[in-house]
Amino acid sequence: MTTLLSMTRRNIKLFFHDKGLFFTSLITPLILLVLYVSFLGNVYKDSIMAFFPEGITVSERIVDSVAVGQLISSILSVSCVTVAFCSNMLMVQDKVTGAALDIAVTPVKRAYLSLSYYIATYVSTSIICITATLVCLAYANAMNSYIGFREAVLLLSDVLILAMLGTAVSSIINFFLSSQGQISAVGSMVSSTYGFVSGAYMPISQFSPVLQKIISLLPGTYGTSLMRNHAIASTLDVMEAEGIPTEIVEAIRDGFDLNIYFFGNRVGVGGMYAVLLLTVLLLIVIYVVINCTCKKVRK
Amino acid sequence: MKNIIEIQNLTKTYGSLTAVDNLSFKVKEGELFAFLGVNGAGKSTTINIMCSALAKDSGSVIINGNNIDTDSDKVKNDIGVVFQSSVLDKSLTVLDNLQSRGALYSLHGKELRQRIDEVARLLDFSDLLKRTVGKLSGGQRRRIDVARALLHKPKILILDEPTTGLDPQTRSLLWKVISNLQKSENMTVFLTTHYMEEAADADYVVILDGGKISADGTPYELKTKWARDTLTLYGVDTESVEGLGIPFERLGDGYKLYVSSPHETKTIVIENGFDDFELAKGKMDDVFLAVTGRELLGGDGK
Repeated sequence: MTTLLSMTRRNIKLFFHDKGLFFTSLITPLILLVLYVSFLGNVYKDSIMAFFPEGITVSERIVDSVAVGQLISSILSVSCVTVAFCSNMLMVQDKVTGAALDIAVTPVKRAYLSLSYYIATYVSTSIICITATLVCLAYANAMNSYIGFREAVLLLSDVLILAMLGTAVSSIINFFLSSQGQISAVGSMVSSTYGFVSGAYMPISQFSPVLQKIISLLPGTYGTSLMRNHAIASTLDVMEAEGIPTEIVEAIRDGFDLNIYFFGNRVGVGGMYAVLLLTVLLLIVIYVVINCTCKKVRK
Repeated sequence: MKNIIEIQNLTKTYGSLTAVDNLSFKVKEGELFAFLGVNGAGKSTTINIMCSALAKDSGSVIINGNNIDTDSDKVKNDIGVVFQSSVLDKSLTVLDNLQSRGALYSLHGKELRQRIDEVARLLDFSDLLKRTVGKLSGGQRRRIDVARALLHKPKILILDEPTTGLDPQTRSLLWKVISNLQKSENMTVFLTTHYMEEAADADYVVILDGGKISADGTPYELKTKWARDTLTLYGVDTESVEGLGIPFERLGDGYKLYVSSPHETKTIVIENGFDDFELAKGKMDDVFLAVTGRELLGGDGK
């Protein structure tokens, strides 16, 4: 255990010593926030207004609050995975610098070594994503959103869970990489596709039925939906309290992926937690097993 | 003396390239063993297999009585490696590096700190512990590399071109420390080097070419077999030297002749009454050149 802690400490120190890597990882979600606010704020508001038939009025604060919820849940769900890919470079860096060979000639257990990379990446990813979440919550507060303390805490816990998922996925993929170029290429691919396949850039309900079924097989989808629930549900409660018909509120839940369906069956929030946590556990086991199986490094 | 390393029929291929070809050799405990060869001869591949960091295709490797296939952890505990280039974390301090590497051998807390202080005194870098590795000079960094390899008190120290590019002072310090450890701890030193004067001090030498052993023996045996002694005669005229019927070359004030044995030298000197002469044994450079047909270039020229 002391060996695991020592290796984890080494990996975390190496990450934070690379100021460029840390700030680049941190600035990515903040840039996303600025871009979303600048370019998609009105699009989101229009898409919300489309749910209200003529004759039904809704306050501007409610519309803004739903838009803010959609916006920050999109940014954070994508960031947890993309930031994990940015942060999870040490495993490959160690291969490039020769440190991996230096470690391979020691009797350290491969399981400890792989877990030390995982934990270090998780810690750095979480620190960056929690910082981004706090900025997003400050923005939501400034926009007079209905996101309260409870929702804020739930969103922070979602970020921690999704960071686990992002770290696990990136750890498995990066295990097979051996150069900085490969890592950059994979990072770019993930950044450009993950937002779509997890329903962060566009609600899944707008995809074709076949695509919806495929996307429902991916665990990241449930992470986005979980965040949508925690970022928007309180506003929907206010809507219902203000007398907006339940059918409209329910349509918004479906339209913005607060309700998510697995082959026609609605998955509740508890189910989303279960999918995410079980997937994380499974991926960590796979990651440790491949580390222990492919134990010889080639120079 | 028992054999601390026993390698039998070791083979390793990369696709169609055979890096190590049915290699067999033994290293005795406590000796300085020089493993020579041009770049690509298979030295590093053999070392990586010995350290259990690289899978072999076939053959057996026994280190201190433990088979790398079944007891790799025991083998790893017996080996310390100084790689060709520094593999420490450049952005961390010397202390951070030694602490994180020590932990890999289950060294922690006071025990680890004491050992770090011990190797720091041994290699004279106590004042560098708080310095960042990336900001150290090449010689300072090399001392830390050696310290890292010695942290867990290995029985075998593998030095893969340890002194390439180092200043004479650092080379001398490293060899002094290593020689002392070899004597005091009966530590076996497995050396690859491009400096033939370092190989000349070895107890046993193996020259590798194309993954196979081209020659092996003590430096004396190798020099006797593969290199010719040189006899330099002074105070003689050209006619006397020509009369010997041996190829020679003019060298400043004297004449340099290549002789095949000390006996031949004795005969030449006594029979011709030469009284001012100099006899030099063949060098390891000559041995290497004769065995491989190639020169082993040190430093930047390698």
